Amino acid sequence: MITISTLLDKEWHERYKRIANLNIRSSIYDVTNRCNLRCQGCFFFSSGEHEVASEEMDIKKWENFIDREKARGVNLAILIGGEPTLCLDRVEAFYQRLPTYCATNGLIKVDRARFPGMMVGISLWGGGEDEKILRGRDTFAISSANYAGDPYTYYLYTITPKQLGNIDAIIRKIADVGLKVHLQLLSNDEGVDGFSWKEGELADLRHEMDEVLDKYPQTVISSKYYHEIITSGQMLGRKFGWRECPSVTEALDTRSPQPKRLIHFARWASDLKTVHRCCTSATRDCSTCKDGAAHMSWIMVNKRAHIRTTRDLQNWIEVYEMFAKLYRLIPW
Amino acid sequence: MPASKDIKGIIRHVAEIIIEELKLEDVTVDTFSPELDLIDELGIDSMDLATIALVLQDEYKIVIDEDDYPQLKTVRLIAEYIEGKLSTES
Repeated sequence: MITISTLLDKEWHERYKRIANLNIRSSIYDVTNRCNLRCQGCFFFSSGEHEVASEEMDIKKWENFIDREKARGVNLAILIGGEPTLCLDRVEAFYQRLPTYCATNGLIKVDRARFPGMMVGISLWGGGEDEKILRGRDTFAISSANYAGDPYTYYLYTITPKQLGNIDAIIRKIADVGLKVHLQLLSNDEGVDGFSWKEGELADLRHEMDEVLDKYPQTVISSKYYHEIITSGQMLGRKFGWRECPSVTEALDTRSPQPKRLIHFARWASDLKTVHRCCTSATRDCSTCKDGAAHMSWIMVNKRAHIRTTRDLQNWIEVYEMFAKLYRLIPW
Repeated sequence: MPASKDIKGIIRHVAEIIIEELKLEDVTVDTFSPELDLIDELGIDSMDLATIALVLQDEYKIVIDEDDYPQLKTVRLIAEYIEGKLSTES
């Protein structure tokens, strides 16, 4: 009988046990419909999600809602937007009740006296020129000044096709300000000219992602198996898409047969009543979706499929460790 | 409800359900150790456990609270849990 012990040596088994019982129940929350940037390719605006629900303005209703989410079993709140830091009272309501991760463009500094241990992920869409094209300004100078050396912050670097061959320079900039970085890929929801992935580019990208992971192991929070899956869209001979995606809101998930999925997952709009279909845009073609969190979760929920060879299981462990590090569930 | 409600019968039936639900091909009811740690050794996750719990609830007409999942770590512990439920609910 194949068991964890028959596949792993003692060191890897210890690593497995460290993560196997984490039992994460995450959900995603739109904190606001507003943002201080309007980025081309941001699914929230391109798919009109900022207009599907009116923001709840009463902080007491937010607090009651978060209490209900906690009672529902959520133990990790992932805050997105809009720009969550425009509504720090709502962010605080989450942070006081649940382990909380706040995605931000980094233009507004989160006060660490008020949010001492809250995980912050700063979006970065490449080098200065790409940022100006896609986001209207180069955000790095501001965000890096706001968060340099912060032990609870990392960059969420969305790689675009234009950065092939130049990823190293961006990672070095991040390392130089004492921050860490996680890698994901642009899905180009708005079809900006020159920012869609072409045949062959993703294989080159995978190689480059592997190189920066080897070169900056203290800076890049990632794994080579994750690089393989997100660039190929394939895992153990299966193709990513609607039938496989784990990050579908549970109440809207009518798929049959039901794939492995995130238990109790929901993505809530800022009216605290509406739920979105999934962790990203409902207008996106799932077969070409490059969402990093969805691909990471796809691997994580398919643990038993990886219990077949030592390498497969080690790959799974490395991806789960990557996830756990991104939320500081285990040390960096 | 399964015919046998003694602990040995429950253990065998729980093992049968796990083998069937997880589609385990390299183990039988006779070779499935009731002491095997289902998480640390077999690698089942909470969704697997939820699936198994649904079948067990249906078979034994009991309620398995999600908060109780962490204690259901082996076939024997699951069987003892069911036995306890059956005795309190009968």
